[in-house]
This record gives sequence, C-alpha cells and structure tokens, in this order.
Amino acid sequence: MNEMTELERFRSDVPELDLTDVRAEEHRLLSVMRDAAPDAGRPTGQRVPGRPRRAMRLRIGLAAGLGVAAAAAGAIAVNAGGEPASPPVVHTMPVASVQVLKRAADNAAKSPELHPRPGQFLVFDSRTMDTVESNSGGRHERYLDRQERKIWLPVDGDATHGVLQSRTLEPKPYPGWPIPAVARQNVGRSSMSKAADFDDRAEHLRSDYAYLSRLPTDPAKMYEHLYTGLGTGPGADATAWQNVGGMLTEAYMPRAQRAALFRAAAAIHGVTTVGRAVDAAGRTGVAVTLDPAGSGVREEYIFDEKTYEFLGRRSVVTNAGQAEAPVGSVLTNSAQLKVSIAERPPAVE
Amino acid sequence: MSTASEEDADDASVIRRSRQEPEAFALVFRRYAPDIKRYVIRRLGADAAEDVVAETFLAAFRQRDRYDLSRPNARPWLYGIATNLMGRHVRTEVRQLRVLERMGTDPVMEPFTERSDERISAGASGRALASALAALPRGHRDALLLVAWGDLSYAEAAQALDVRVGTVRSRINRARQKLRRHLGATDPVIYVSEEPVHE
Repeated sequence: MNEMTELERFRSDVPELDLTDVRAEEHRLLSVMRDAAPDAGRPTGQRVPGRPRRAMRLRIGLAAGLGVAAAAAGAIAVNAGGEPASPPVVHTMPVASVQVLKRAADNAAKSPELHPRPGQFLVFDSRTMDTVESNSGGRHERYLDRQERKIWLPVDGDATHGVLQSRTLEPKPYPGWPIPAVARQNVGRSSMSKAADFDDRAEHLRSDYAYLSRLPTDPAKMYEHLYTGLGTGPGADATAWQNVGGMLTEAYMPRAQRAALFRAAAAIHGVTTVGRAVDAAGRTGVAVTLDPAGSGVREEYIFDEKTYEFLGRRSVVTNAGQAEAPVGSVLTNSAQLKVSIAERPPAVE
Repeated sequence: MSTASEEDADDASVIRRSRQEPEAFALVFRRYAPDIKRYVIRRLGADAAEDVVAETFLAAFRQRDRYDLSRPNARPWLYGIATNLMGRHVRTEVRQLRVLERMGTDPVMEPFTERSDERISAGASGRALASALAALPRGHRDALLLVAWGDLSYAEAAQALDVRVGTVRSRINRARQKLRRHLGATDPVIYVSEEPVHE
C-alpha cells in the first residue's frame, strides 16, 4: 500500500459533517453579517452615529465567541446590534505578583512617547534568531537562522500593507547539529518584500497601533482582553502569555495601554521572574516567563534592568527530552532595537 | 429566500452579491463549512476546530471585497484562510501527533471512538505516519494535507498557500518521501519540527 493511501486512511474515521455540526460557527458568522447589513433586521434606534464600525464588530465578535458556553450555562450572550450581555466566562484578574512587570508598568509613564497618525507607518528595527528545519537532498537539517529586520507596519490596518527589509546574518548551530550549507547561502544578503501575504489574525489578536490604542487602560479589562475567547486553566494562561508577546513584538501602543498590559501580564497565573537574560543584540536584562507544561521550552520576555523597557524575547529549553536540546539552550531570540515613525514604506515591486 | 438560481450560482457571483447584500455570504458558509470543519478536526481535533472554522468564515467575510472574482470556485481561498489560522495551533497539532506516535492512542480520534482499545488499533503504520507528519516542516505538511485530505488539486493548493505550483509539487514530493521512509522504518526517529514564529 503506498503512502498516499495510508495517509487517506489516517483519521478517516472522523465522520462526514453536515450543517447541524457547524451551528455554533454559523451563529458567530451571522451575528457579524447582521451587523454589516445596512440596517436590515436591526431594531431602529440601535445604530449609534459616529461610532466606529470596527469597535462595534469587535464587541459582537467577543460576545459571539462565548456563545456556546453561554448556551450551556443557560444565559443569553448576544443581542445583535446592541450591547452584549456580560460574558459567562469571567476572568477576574488575580492580584498581580510579578515585580518586574509592575515596575515596567510604573516606568511606562516615564518613557518618551511616539504619536503616530493614521496613514503613517511604525518602523521596527530588530534582530532575530529562529529555528529552521529543512529537508534538502533527503537529509533532515536544523539550524538557528539569524536576521536583521526592519519592518514598516501601517498605523491602522493589517500587515499585508507593510514592508519587510531583512538581512541574513551568520547562522548558529542548533544544539548538537552541524550547520548545513543551505544555512549560509544568503548570509550578508538583503531582501525587501511585502511584510505578509496574509493577515488573517482574529480581531482580538490585531497588533496595529490604531487597534492597540483603543484597548482598555484598566488592567483588569486588559486582563480580560488577553483571555478573549479562552477558557481557564494552564492552556488558557499559556495562550494569554503568548498574546502579551504578540502585543510587544513589532508592535507599539500608547503608554496607558502599555502600563495596563504589563499589570495584566503580571497577574497571569504561573508567570515568574527568571533572572538575567541576554537578548539577540547582546543586551542584558531581566526576564519574566511562563513555563507551560509539556513543551519543554519556556518563552521569556526581557526587560531593561533600569528603565524596564521591553528589550526582546527568547525561548529557552527547560526539558531536554521534550525539546531535544540541552536544558538552558536558547532556541529563539529577538531584540527590538528601535521604534520610529515613517510617512510611507519603501516601494516594493 | 433562497431560490433555485441562487443555489446554482458559482461562488464568485455569490461573493460579488454579498458585497452589496452581506447576508448572501451565508451561502458560501453552507457550501463549505462542513467540509472545512472535518478537515480542521482531522488536523487539530474537535476542540480547536470550532474556533478555527468560525474565524475562517469571519475572515473570509471581512475580506470578501478582495476576493478575486475571476475564480469561480472559492474552495482554495477558504482552505487557504483556514490553513493560515491553523498556523496558530501548530504546537497543538504536533503535540497530538507525538502522543499518537509514542503512546499509540490518538487524542484527535478520542471523541469519535467509543472504546479506548479501538483507538489503539491505529497500529504501527498510524504511529509511523504521525511521526512523519509531526516532523514535516509546516509548509510541507500544509501542502500535503490540502491535497490528501482537503481534496485540492496541486494548482488549487498553490492558490490556497499563495505559492507557485512548482513549490507545492516539490513540497509534496519531499513530504511523500519522508512518509515512505517512516512507513518503511521500524523504529521511527523523533524530531521536533515546531518552529516558533517571529512575526
């Protein structure tokens, strides 16, 4: 039997589905569609003139995302077009416990502030190291790819309108693996391209300035935002922690939101300070992390020890068996070097 | 309010109409959501599937103005969006494949089998396949499964992934080689292929 036949049989016992199996998804789509329809099916007087559509959609999206849990609890989560009822999965922020993040929040007020305008671009200079797996000539290869990046991202809207300039730096070996020839092919070369072909992030995972600057400045509400669509438990905490990283990496927000984010992050269950860490540019800072069970790798965010400014992030092996690399190895690393404003990105053909 | 002519219209005309009449987009959902959900369940399991499928159609709905109306069939477009959203769940996907590889029980199949001993019947080939799929680079796994499970042609998979057909062909060839090797080997080699994505 050939491998494609084997593959077709693999998990083929997942039953064929029909429309009754996608009711929850349809419900979520319909509530958004109803909002987009020009007053169709909407009780009069519900539309508030001048309110941005996007904000409206977001709130409905949030409520609809919790629709299933609400039905199970016997509560009504959505009244389309109006205010959502209180969500049934309530994330009450516990008392924050991580000093580093609290200090980062206190210091957010002191750092100089950028004021990008709609239509402009935020420019992030960074250095990164990421793991690469490749198969060439039938051989499995692994190495750590290093890049210098400069990305122009629109102040409002998705990353497909952004531009990425990157230059490949000398690679590093993946612990225990030789550096393959392919890793050095582009060293020293620069490239300029569209920042993304797709940007299908869910609304609540957007990280453009316009979106981030509309987020709540109240830490408890920011905490709820980090848990949007998530349940409770270690998996939800790990995703919330990833969401914090998504809002810090190649992203910029007003200081009020930044302070709220740090305070909210400090309250995520399981987050701890792990001591000194070096970012991808060789700057030493203090790292906070959440070590999710099962992956063998913990994701750290690094802050300057004096100013508590966000420096970068890295992932460090905590379980040699699961990660297949010695404990303490750094597998990915980044350093955010500079954030500035530009009127427009360079042209890309 | 659906009529025979509406049910017959190709996807592009339905999407064009939905730009003026948003509720027309529901037909796109009805045509593809069950298939896409089954595809996502096969890759990620039932837990993650609901969110991925809901977000796929929300994203598609929001991007309907950008849909290329010269493509009558929206299937590649929708599978492309779903594939992209599944990228956030790579760790879940790989973790479940690893469980199957190591324990012989498939967490993805758990809700669909009544007795636990049926899950074990995955046997050696299921474990070898899981091992091979987990070890594939994400882009290779995406291309392979869009064709094998999503029933897309190579050209459609290329549209879905926004790469050239030649890229799809070479990814699938390499992926098939890897599958063959793992199916042939008695003692599957263990790799980690999770790549933290830096965006």
